[in-house]
Amino acid sequence: MSLPAIASPTLPRGTLLNAALRSPSFLAGAAITALFLLVAVVSFVWTPYGYATQDIPNKLKGLSLAHWFGTDQYGRDVFSMILVGARTSIAVALIAVGVGIGIGVPLGLTAAARRGSLLDEVIMRLNDLVFAFPALLIAVLITAVFGPSATNAIIAIGIFNIPVFARLIRAAALSLWTRDFILAARVAGKGPARISVEHILPNILNTLVVQITIQFSLGILAEAALAYVGLGAQPPTPSWGKMLADSQTLISLAPHLALIPGLCIVFTVLGLNLMGDGLRDIFDPRLSRSRQ
Amino acid sequence: MSLLEVKGLQLAIGDVKILRGIDLAVDAGQVLGIIGESGSGKSMSALSIMRLLPTGAHATGSIRLAGDELLQKSERDMCGVRGKDIGMVFQEPMTALDPLKTIGNQVAETIWVHGQASRREALAEADRVLERVGLPADLFPRDRFPHELSGGQRQRVVIASAIALRPKLLIADEPTTALDVTTQARIIELLNRLVNEDGMGMIFITHDLAVVAGLADQVAVMRYGEVFEAGPTGEVFRTLAHPYTRALFEASSHVPKRDPSLPGGPPVLTVENVVRDYRTPPKRLFGKPGAFRAVDGVSFRIERGENVGLVGESGSGKSTLARAVMALEAVQSGTITIDGQKLDPRDGASFATRRKLQVVFQDPYGSFDPRQRVDTLITEPFHLLGADAPHGAERQARIAKSLETVGLEASDAEKYIHEFSGGQRQRLAIARALIIEPSLIILDEAVSALDVSIRAQILDLLAELSDRLGLSYLFISHDLSVVRSITDRVLVMKSGKIVESGATEEVFRNPQHPYTQELLAATPHLERALAARS
Repeated sequence: MSLPAIASPTLPRGTLLNAALRSPSFLAGAAITALFLLVAVVSFVWTPYGYATQDIPNKLKGLSLAHWFGTDQYGRDVFSMILVGARTSIAVALIAVGVGIGIGVPLGLTAAARRGSLLDEVIMRLNDLVFAFPALLIAVLITAVFGPSATNAIIAIGIFNIPVFARLIRAAALSLWTRDFILAARVAGKGPARISVEHILPNILNTLVVQITIQFSLGILAEAALAYVGLGAQPPTPSWGKMLADSQTLISLAPHLALIPGLCIVFTVLGLNLMGDGLRDIFDPRLSRSRQ
Repeated sequence: MSLLEVKGLQLAIGDVKILRGIDLAVDAGQVLGIIGESGSGKSMSALSIMRLLPTGAHATGSIRLAGDELLQKSERDMCGVRGKDIGMVFQEPMTALDPLKTIGNQVAETIWVHGQASRREALAEADRVLERVGLPADLFPRDRFPHELSGGQRQRVVIASAIALRPKLLIADEPTTALDVTTQARIIELLNRLVNEDGMGMIFITHDLAVVAGLADQVAVMRYGEVFEAGPTGEVFRTLAHPYTRALFEASSHVPKRDPSLPGGPPVLTVENVVRDYRTPPKRLFGKPGAFRAVDGVSFRIERGENVGLVGESGSGKSTLARAVMALEAVQSGTITIDGQKLDPRDGASFATRRKLQVVFQDPYGSFDPRQRVDTLITEPFHLLGADAPHGAERQARIAKSLETVGLEASDAEKYIHEFSGGQRQRLAIARALIIEPSLIILDEAVSALDVSIRAQILDLLAELSDRLGLSYLFISHDLSVVRSITDRVLVMKSGKIVESGATEEVFRNPQHPYTQELLAATPHLERALAARS
């Protein structure tokens, strides 16, 4: 192409950062996500009140200077609960997604690389088996054996995430394996593992990023569902999902009890989605105009 | 007055001008051939006539079909025109047909959608139309699905639904490009017959001058969204008044210059009695799996600096053979020797053997990882050198050298693949093959997806490289004229066997095997077509 060789030789890979700084959706998403992560970290060292401290005379107060987000039916400070709840919700969702990616992605890539083999069949049928049990059921099983806790909720949601990623990755990778550039890599003597990491994974990254943001929001909701039936974080440890669940009988009396954790979930998910969207564009050389 | 009159048609998508005021005219019973390279606006002209434009497109000017202005019609009225007054045939018959509908239903749909008949009558009419396009009911039951037919038969179904209501105008957009030559010849014959029988007008869009020369009454040569030249076919081709038409004409019959002294010396590739079977699924539960012999006892050799063509239609086993040579597929018996080193049928090739062999694929868009930069892409074969792979400055030098060898610039190494055109990508593919200094390059339909002028340039480049570097090519193609221009020897493959081989000129001038004769007769030939006109 007759495009002049823009002064690129000196700044090849660093331009990725430049592209990131110029993508508004990435910046907005990263800012929101960073805020919530910060909130979770801050909660370890500081909360305005003890998150479990009850103050019955001041129950169900609205938003005020003393209690920024008001108080709940036991007079606990909602702002403090949100801070600590961020910890639980984000940690559960993040680790659960991490488990899903860490195990599901390699499984999917392996199945695609050995497509049609016995190994492929075994991996995918085991995935079907896990998929056949709802996360809730797995959680009940695990809780029955190990007792209820946030850790067990993470394991249950994580296990549920594995087949989601394995299937997605396998399907996306399969269509890539038929492409000519993969054939070219095979002609260059590269083995399936190397091709999977060097060529397949970067090309399905956008699909993966989108799925991560979806699974993350599902993770927060799943944690809420587990907490709701008493299988997640145990009281008095708050989580956004549990706060949401607890508030539903009081929704006409004190709507802020439902609105605030609900909005927190919405904004976290929104932030992650925006960041995921931005990341997808940044990683795709065809879309990042800044580097042409 | 002409059947179709297009006057001053302009088309813009957003701010980009696609068509800059084109004039076309088609008479009833006549064929208008539109020729042009990719991006010339020929398909967009056809879609404008059908009013099937992408969102954001805006057309101005005038399109009159039998005096009726189409551009002023509402979308609802256009639905009544499409399929009824204007039929359309697309390039890829597999995607133009609904895979879940039987061929009878597919054709009948066009008929009853226009309220011309009840479903039962429509099915009966569909039956007659399919008969007309050469698919008699006793051989092709109407409850067949598209995947049960061959490419040519599918295209006949597409044609049947396009002509079912006897439209006044038929638009065929590259209808034979995806088909084999013998099939192409039969489809063109069919279209020609239908035009004569029904007296409809036809617009035939193609990039292949030879096809147009044999078929069209009028031609229009398009470029940059304009009609550069138009007129009766014989006249346009004989006078070649416009320089662009002449350039196209020359490019399509281009023969690169080659050094005749070269081939000779020890064989680079020896293939002996190679057999490749595929297992087919058993017909019954617990039945025995069947076998399909894709390559059946093939033997040949390629000498240093020799260019060997491998021709055959789809399904003849030529691609399977190429994959076996590349050690991407195991063979059941026989031996393949590359530069004196035998391929292991089980493990494939050692790195040392693979170094001798590289490949260039057909699709310039699919053969590069879109996520990597050119320097990473073209150095991929360095993997074969293991620890000996060049690093740092030497690597840069090798990249620069191989880019310059194929006529690109060293600075292109910093770019991503989407910044290159189709022809440049094919140059990059050649650069990737050359970087490891192989003795043999397999060119699998390497120029088939390119426009004629680009194709001529790539052929020149290939010929020059072969002479200068003593490279051998295995040139796989279904395009006989290209094979003729660049190869020393040719192998003709049919049903997994090599049915004829010999010096290229010899085989083309005096084909012995009936299949070769059939192939040659079916190949559109520019000069022959023009001679037949006068």
